[in-house]
Amino acid sequence: MSIPKISGIMVLLIAIFFAVGVAIGYVAGGWGKVPGYEYGMPVKKLKAGFIYVGPVEDFGWTAAHDQARKHVEKLFPWLETVYVESVEEAEAARYIERLVREEGADIVFTTSYGFMDPTIDVAQRYPDKLFFHCSGFKRRPNSGTYFVDFYQVYYLNGLMAGALTKTGKVGYVAAHPIPEVIRHINAFALGVKEANPEAKVYVRWLHEWYAPELAREAAQALVSIGVDTLAFTEDSTAIVEFAQQQYEQGKQLYVFSHYSPMQNVGPDVVVSGQLVHWEVIYADILMKVALNVYNNTNLENVDYLWMLKEGAVELGGKPGVPVNPKFIDELKNKYLPGKSISAYDAVMNRLALMKEANVPFDPFTGPIMDQNGNIKIQAGQRATIEQLFTEQMNWFVDNIIGSPSG
Amino acid sequence: MDIAASILAEAIRSGTPLLLATLGEIYCERSGVLNLGLEGVMTIGALAGFVATLATGSVWIGVFSAMIAGGLFSLIHAFTSISLGANQTVSGLALTMLGTGVSSLIGGKYVGQPLPERLQIFQIPVLSEIPLAGGFFVHDPIVYFSIVLSIMMWFILFKTRIGIIIRTIGEKPEAADAAGVNVHLVRYLCVLSGGFLGGLGGAYVTLFYTPFWKEGIIRGRGWIALSLTIFSLWNPLGSIIGAYLFGGVEVLQFYLQEYRVPASLLRTLPYFTTILVLTTGSIGFMRKRLGAPAALGKPYRRES
Repeated sequence: MSIPKISGIMVLLIAIFFAVGVAIGYVAGGWGKVPGYEYGMPVKKLKAGFIYVGPVEDFGWTAAHDQARKHVEKLFPWLETVYVESVEEAEAARYIERLVREEGADIVFTTSYGFMDPTIDVAQRYPDKLFFHCSGFKRRPNSGTYFVDFYQVYYLNGLMAGALTKTGKVGYVAAHPIPEVIRHINAFALGVKEANPEAKVYVRWLHEWYAPELAREAAQALVSIGVDTLAFTEDSTAIVEFAQQQYEQGKQLYVFSHYSPMQNVGPDVVVSGQLVHWEVIYADILMKVALNVYNNTNLENVDYLWMLKEGAVELGGKPGVPVNPKFIDELKNKYLPGKSISAYDAVMNRLALMKEANVPFDPFTGPIMDQNGNIKIQAGQRATIEQLFTEQMNWFVDNIIGSPSG
Repeated sequence: MDIAASILAEAIRSGTPLLLATLGEIYCERSGVLNLGLEGVMTIGALAGFVATLATGSVWIGVFSAMIAGGLFSLIHAFTSISLGANQTVSGLALTMLGTGVSSLIGGKYVGQPLPERLQIFQIPVLSEIPLAGGFFVHDPIVYFSIVLSIMMWFILFKTRIGIIIRTIGEKPEAADAAGVNVHLVRYLCVLSGGFLGGLGGAYVTLFYTPFWKEGIIRGRGWIALSLTIFSLWNPLGSIIGAYLFGGVEVLQFYLQEYRVPASLLRTLPYFTTILVLTTGSIGFMRKRLGAPAALGKPYRRES
């Protein structure tokens, strides 16, 4: 007799729970639309903060990071992003902390070498938050590092520069004398040397990342001493515009664009360049954070170093165009000294090799000598990660004219 | 062109914004008004010229807008220091802060945008091939204009009645007043033309020298121009030499790097020299010696 009574109460309770559940579900986000479920897994909302060293419109380094930020924000509906631009290195800690404390960011990406120590400091003070520092080498359980590197692409640019220069003088306008920039200059110089062993690479330091006026002055100074081919590490299009202007006045310069697609700015002068795809790395990191593959205990050894193989970098001054068609014939007609392969084929060949999974070719393969005639990399050996990516990279290859210390 | 000629050409290009701003400041100070707001005026001109060129597609409209903007902006200083008789140092400094601050605020969205039009360089045939001196003949119209302007401004200041009036007002305003000259009006006009030229100097940076806008692109050129005013002994012809010398120091860093002269050291030189000149120029007895206008910085009120 009592059984039907009990089941009556149970039915009532189930009905009530069901009604309440429906009501909560309805209020909390609409039927069937569980937030973050679109990618086949339930994830919590994630807020990512970005600290930029330059203005987001700089056409270079910061613009590339910001485009990647927008890309991942669109890709992942569960992701929200905030950013601070033009942050001085001395003030970085304050801004990183602000993103974590006031903006409630779960993960902060700091995108300049000089932000390394501030990132580690703040990571220490906020052990439950995640941090990723770009281009540095210091890590903690809650702070990883990531980087793409262009040295392979710089080497390919150098091959073309060496093949194209008529004066045997190649210029490089560089930002700061740090391992990253020195490595790129060296890779570029190795390429130049292979295509033209007599050519010299003239380096001029700006000591700034974004300084169009100084970059233009430096380029002009290089051209005055006979340089006809220019590569650079500076985050504006100033040098490309300068070269295009020179072209319009009847002087052909060859330029390799930096970081962003600049071929449209200098259609008659940009031969090739380096393009970056930060979104590939950001998507990977954020996905793994969302899936809890990465958390505040296991980032100590998370160090991304992605290059051609992973698709994080691309050769060219324009996406999908590795070499400006205007210069292809010239490069096909120029053979590498002592070899039966044209500069163009050599570039394409090695590009393909460096995209392979086991990377059978590396530009930093010995023997490589520095400016003082010391052997830095022994014959037949490849440079180690330490040699390439730490303070050990403080020397210049022997065909470079200029000081590696600025 | 040989290397010497191209260094000279670069020094001239780099010195032209300094020259324009200095010429304006010379007239300003000759009439007795010290405009420490020059850095702000140049920044306002740099932005106004850039934005107007972007909007209209014409560099000349940009140049014109920069001059108007610089002129109008410096009228604030004219009003406070001439009409209200306020402290010129304070008013000028405020103008610099206002100008650089407002420009960064408005200019944010113009960073990195390319200009739609660029002025071509007039390379004078034959003359531009002369070793060294050839560097004088490979420039845009503004460079040639600024040299002609310096000579004209020297002539007006020292060889005409207008020049005598301006100089008298800077030395003994009461004497000019007694002679029936409207002291305030002349001072207003001098500050206004200083603003025109400061604005033009700023626009030269963003329209010709480096066709870009970024925050702080004037980089202390206003202060350098102020020291050049003293360095040139308030003489428009002297300012040509001074401006190209300072411009040369800026450019030379990239030539000397090959010889391992640190860029950072060279880069401090113009500012170091500026501090030196400004300090020397503000010591009382040195001012007299150098020939500073006696009434410089003193507001004029008629004794009644």
